[in-house]
Amino acid sequence: MDESEDTPKDFIMLKSEKLSVDEVSELVVSPYCGAVSLFIGTTRNNFEGKKVIHLEYEAYTSMAETEITKICRDVRQKWPSVKHIAVHHRLGVVPITEASVIIAVSSPHRAESLEAVMYCINTLKASVPIWKKEIYEDEYSWKENKECFWANSEK
Amino acid sequence: QVSVLYFARSAELAGLRCETLSVPRQITSLQLWEEIVKVHPRLAVIQDQVVFAVRQEYVLLGDQLLVLQPGDEVAIIPPISGG
Repeated sequence: MDESEDTPKDFIMLKSEKLSVDEVSELVVSPYCGAVSLFIGTTRNNFEGKKVIHLEYEAYTSMAETEITKICRDVRQKWPSVKHIAVHHRLGVVPITEASVIIAVSSPHRAESLEAVMYCINTLKASVPIWKKEIYEDEYSWKENKECFWANSEK
Repeated sequence: QVSVLYFARSAELAGLRCETLSVPRQITSLQLWEEIVKVHPRLAVIQDQVVFAVRQEYVLLGDQLLVLQPGDEVAIIPPISGG
């Protein structure tokens, strides 16, 4: 058994095609890991009583990839046993119930991958330059994550 | 001359996604914002909600002195909503 053949990898992808849970989890599976933890962010069909038709995402792509890379580096510092990390985020139009983001992390035992996945999505929401527009029947709204420290929280 | 990138609501208010702007090599982030608002006055409404990303590092609007090189990317970053 030579674990050095399975060097830890980060798989970061921003794309407009439909995301695949199978594809993302297969990226992180490792024979040295007993746990793969996943987070899937999906599109809700309502917000404050308004019907959401679909979401649209845009990104400062180069910086978003850099920020996600930093998140992966932080994860490996906090949970050194984490093996592979995959973060796939969809851009453009995302229909209701489809996934906007899938995060998968593998580790030998489950605690680290579960905690790392939570850290990834929470930190992504606070620091990665991606924007979501909710399209309703008559109007639209640029959303603001509460984790964003420069957002105006009083409306 | 720097490249200014506009995203989300700021792109809607400015009416474009990217342009080159001539600015002093040394300028505070607030002064840089004011230069941009001179060109696109509609951006003034989001002043309290945006930050910059200068060479892909976040910078608050304020007294921070920026040292800009020709071709540097400066992005206007409205409140984010990824994930």
